[in-house]
Amino acid sequence: MKPLKIRFCGFGGQGIILSAITLGTALVTKKGYYAVQTQSYGSEARGGQCQAELIVADEEVRSPHSDEKDVLVAMSQSALDRYVSDLKQGGILIVDPTLVKEIPEVDGQVIEVPATQTAVDLGNRIAANMVLLGFVQQATGILTKDELLSAVQDLVKPQFIDINTRAIEAGIELAEGINLEVIE
Amino acid sequence: MASDGSNPQSRVLTGVHFMLGNYATSEGALAAGCDFFAGYPITPANEISERMSQRLPEVGGTFIQGEDELFSIYAVTGASIAGAKAMTATASAGYNHFQEGIGYAVAVEAPCVIVDVQRCRGENFATQADVMQMRWGTDGDYEIIVLAPSSIQELFEYTVRAFNLAEEYRTPVIVASETTIALMRERLDIPTAEEIEIVNRKYTDLSPDEYKPFAAPEYGVPDFAPLGEGYGTIYSINPHDEEGSIDWDPDVYERMYDRLTGKIAKNRDVICQPRSFAVDDADIVLIAYGSEVRPALDAVQMARDEGIAAGLLKLDAVWPVPEEQIKKATAKAKEVISVEMNIGKYANEIERVVAGRVPVHRCTKNRGIIHSPEEIYRSIKEVWK
Repeated sequence: MKPLKIRFCGFGGQGIILSAITLGTALVTKKGYYAVQTQSYGSEARGGQCQAELIVADEEVRSPHSDEKDVLVAMSQSALDRYVSDLKQGGILIVDPTLVKEIPEVDGQVIEVPATQTAVDLGNRIAANMVLLGFVQQATGILTKDELLSAVQDLVKPQFIDINTRAIEAGIELAEGINLEVIE
Repeated sequence: MASDGSNPQSRVLTGVHFMLGNYATSEGALAAGCDFFAGYPITPANEISERMSQRLPEVGGTFIQGEDELFSIYAVTGASIAGAKAMTATASAGYNHFQEGIGYAVAVEAPCVIVDVQRCRGENFATQADVMQMRWGTDGDYEIIVLAPSSIQELFEYTVRAFNLAEEYRTPVIVASETTIALMRERLDIPTAEEIEIVNRKYTDLSPDEYKPFAAPEYGVPDFAPLGEGYGTIYSINPHDEEGSIDWDPDVYERMYDRLTGKIAKNRDVICQPRSFAVDDADIVLIAYGSEVRPALDAVQMARDEGIAAGLLKLDAVWPVPEEQIKKATAKAKEVISVEMNIGKYANEIERVVAGRVPVHRCTKNRGIIHSPEEIYRSIKEVWK
């Protein structure tokens, strides 16, 4: 397996880092992969630019950073503008159309996932990150729904498990019929 | 459950985790038997204290948030001479304040573990700039053990080993963590408690009347008697004889420091266990420690793919210097490259050890971020024109 490199980006408070931690936890502790997760964020509590990087492999990952991402998930216009150049040729760009209005030209697949709108419809806007994770799980098939939900239960406070589970299930529905090849 | 209500099994969280580096450091300490922690807040080390504040009480240990670094280092030393396995953690600027207490712990032979999560001045940017302050920061003559982990797995394992070495040699042992790995999450496989080797200091079997607190074989380690059990030991930083009496006799002074430094320096080949990667036929040998091992290994692979015979010596202990192992790994090399995330400090030690036999080049980066594999590979190509 070629290491899979994913970046989540947006602004502080959206759960960008939690997205990467949740996916990494599921892939490592449920699926048995190796993974490295790093992040950077502004010192503002909310609103500053924020990104998290996840590298997944079937053996130990060496360098913790990678130049070219296979998948870029963007939850804000400014983060997308900043990080889009890191997407590899033929990579996959996933954006939330509520938050990203101008999609730059990319050599790869662009998929719009209405995560924020879906989360608002479910009654909690901040679950948008979990809608996106549900989408990524279903569309890429890198892990099962049960593996992802199990990681959410390990990481999320009990009172938030229900909304996060519903958000993931809604994301899975949005991925119906979409098949993204990310494992080489 | 034990009689005190704690569950000894919960010291070791056996299983597969996706864990933050700072948490892995704390879990290593708990697995090693740490039962006392004192620390003062500073980023990027705070998650170590946070975890210890939650986990230590669960296993019957003591957590204290000190009012500053001086309190913390002396609390740890005091706990140690009372018999505890004690740890503190800080980041570079906080480590400055530990230096006085480290000198005391060295002189009174108090086993303890000190974590330095190295950061750039004033910000949580990545660096290995403290590699010299961890060796030379306190006053007087001394040797010290510094372990430099490269991964979350090694933060756990090296912290366990730091406690074992501290107990075995009755000395402070430093874990040279870094922003890069401390704030990273990675897979961590924690073995069962039975699979983890634990070393405890040797307690005296002599009575208080017979016991001499600092008597030991040449370059050896004295047997321990905990404070408060009638042994009446004076733990003084001043020169002291085998009885612990302060004594400025030059013979006493010389004998004391010969043993204090010799117990570590004479055992460097046992303490240091560097690992070699493809060095046997290597024309170019890279030497790296800590997080920089990771991109350096990638760069060695890139060089091999292009037909350049490169290899890597990965240091585990940076202090004492693994002199024989460095000599052996570079014996057939035509070029040596020291890879570091600072202005180039440990390279001086490597130059000293190889003593002009082979050129030592410096692949350094001092801008708050770890080398990329490509940057190190470019250094290899520049050297191998």
